[in-house]
Amino acid sequence: MDSAPNRRVRPLSICAAAPALAAVAVSAAIVIMAVTNDAPPFWHGGSLTLSEAAALHDQGELVRLIASGNDPNAVYPLRADVLAVRALTPLEAAVGARRPEMVELLVRHGAVVDPTAWRRLHCFAMASGAVDVVQMLDRFRPAGSEASCEGISTPF
Amino acid sequence: MPLQVHDSLDEIIAAQQSPGVWASFTSTIGETTYFRPLRIAETKLLLDLSGGHYFAAYKAFHVALLAAAFALFVGALRLETGVDLAAALFALSIFTGLHTFLGLVKEGYPVNHFLQVVVLVLAAVRLSKAGGSRWIDVAAIAAFIAACLTLESGVLVWVALVASRLSGRRGVSDSALVAMTGLLVAYGLVRFVWLAPHAQGMANASGYGFERLEGSQIRERFGTGLSRFNVYNVLTSMATVLFSEPRSGVFVFFRGWSLSEVPPRVWINVVSSTITTALIVIAILSRGPGRSAPHETRFATMQPTMRRGPSRSAETADLVVFGAVLAASAIASYAYAKDEIMSVAGVFYALAAFWAVRDLIMRGLRAAPAVAVALALLVAGSGWAVRTIGVNHVLRAQAFAFHNDWAWIPEDMERRGTWPSDPSTRKVIIELRDESIAMPIVNPWFVPRWADRVFDVDYF
Repeated sequence: MDSAPNRRVRPLSICAAAPALAAVAVSAAIVIMAVTNDAPPFWHGGSLTLSEAAALHDQGELVRLIASGNDPNAVYPLRADVLAVRALTPLEAAVGARRPEMVELLVRHGAVVDPTAWRRLHCFAMASGAVDVVQMLDRFRPAGSEASCEGISTPF
Repeated sequence: MPLQVHDSLDEIIAAQQSPGVWASFTSTIGETTYFRPLRIAETKLLLDLSGGHYFAAYKAFHVALLAAAFALFVGALRLETGVDLAAALFALSIFTGLHTFLGLVKEGYPVNHFLQVVVLVLAAVRLSKAGGSRWIDVAAIAAFIAACLTLESGVLVWVALVASRLSGRRGVSDSALVAMTGLLVAYGLVRFVWLAPHAQGMANASGYGFERLEGSQIRERFGTGLSRFNVYNVLTSMATVLFSEPRSGVFVFFRGWSLSEVPPRVWINVVSSTITTALIVIAILSRGPGRSAPHETRFATMQPTMRRGPSRSAETADLVVFGAVLAASAIASYAYAKDEIMSVAGVFYALAAFWAVRDLIMRGLRAAPAVAVALALLVAGSGWAVRTIGVNHVLRAQAFAFHNDWAWIPEDMERRGTWPSDPSTRKVIIELRDESIAMPIVNPWFVPRWADRVFDVDYF
């Protein structure tokens, strides 16, 4: 090797190592953040309300929130970009987000569907055209509930 | 990240109900499609040792295996100079960035058998470099037996050791390799003769072209015997390591291309892998059969025993092992293509890249080729860096999925009729569920859209 090619060893080594070093640094920071229960900037969350969890398909969080004392029948606020409404019950949020599995999970974890609530939810689902949600609600239809949507206003 | 429910909870329940480790070891032999008794026994052993802290025990074992894999991989690199360190960093980013690594960390089994086999193959190759002794032979045979009883791809221990021996490494004796070959034959008889009726019932989904086929669709289209589908699986399994395409048999890059929508993450994957494979090929071809790299000549001058000939260089040996493991892993994928099956080959691909980058840097290139190599290293290295950072993204997405799966326990088990009647088993399940649900998991809704386009995703 003459001296000129020898001089290229260092820049070539830097080209090989620099991106990897950056990855090591970022990955190490991510691991440290994970250990301290934080998240990297591109995974920064925030606490969800029960209705947001229902709208955002967050089944685990929904069960966790109910287990920690949240009432599955109460009204909770929603962030502006989750749904076009600022506050709903978790069941309304699940129907509004067209998530039949969340309806089922909520009912299994204590959400009450009485005839009045069922009719209202049913009309929400009908208005949104979500056939699978309508079918799911039909599974939990209480005796004596009306299916007519006359006079029922939907929040969406 | 929580343990996963699917393919995991049933094993934990079986371990909890098993009277002992040996009973667990023998419980599935001849009963299922698979022959992985050690994995079942380890699940039981860890459960018994956990003292009720099941999640902690399984995760600690996973972390220990991961640390062992990293240590063995770094130990396999020759670190003597600054150039070695630079090449090692490049190789490490491939080790963690290649998609075949994802299965080693994202699968939330009680015992990650893919990772265990990676550790055992790396350990076996390490033994092949040691000074020969009876204990080395015993350890190598033990590693082979443990790997074969953990997962079918455990036979890669034998492949790696034979390749090492053929390339001049004498740490493991010929007699040990003969003994291992006898054990391999016995294993083959058990797996393909005794368990053949079960194996024929395998119905794994797999990719083909631009689509993913279910087991029934594969049988309908290609029949039950050997077909072009098997050839396709072997070839695409090799390609996925070398080019990050296809993924589990599906050509995601070309599918995206045909739709005029190739996400940046796919470009990053394919470009970084293709450049790295090109660097490996260039490093191999430019050495030629009668040429040595400059650094090798110098090294050989200093240490005559390391000259080419009967005992070839460490570089050549690692490249031979990589080729052997790649081919064997691909052949093992003949039934269906799954990226995780190629995880051992992915590790040795990173090792091959280490030698290639080291070789090219030390070659004494003229200005124009040096600029080309520098650009290639920067582009590929940046891609590997993004892929490495993206592992966290995949893990968090996976954690969200696992978290959601636990939300349906025990209701889902009750519905399927699998909710156990035994109170102690129920207690184990509920404790695992409560522990998993209690973990704070970020909802992917919070993730900016660019992250999903730049970082890798779980395709299947």
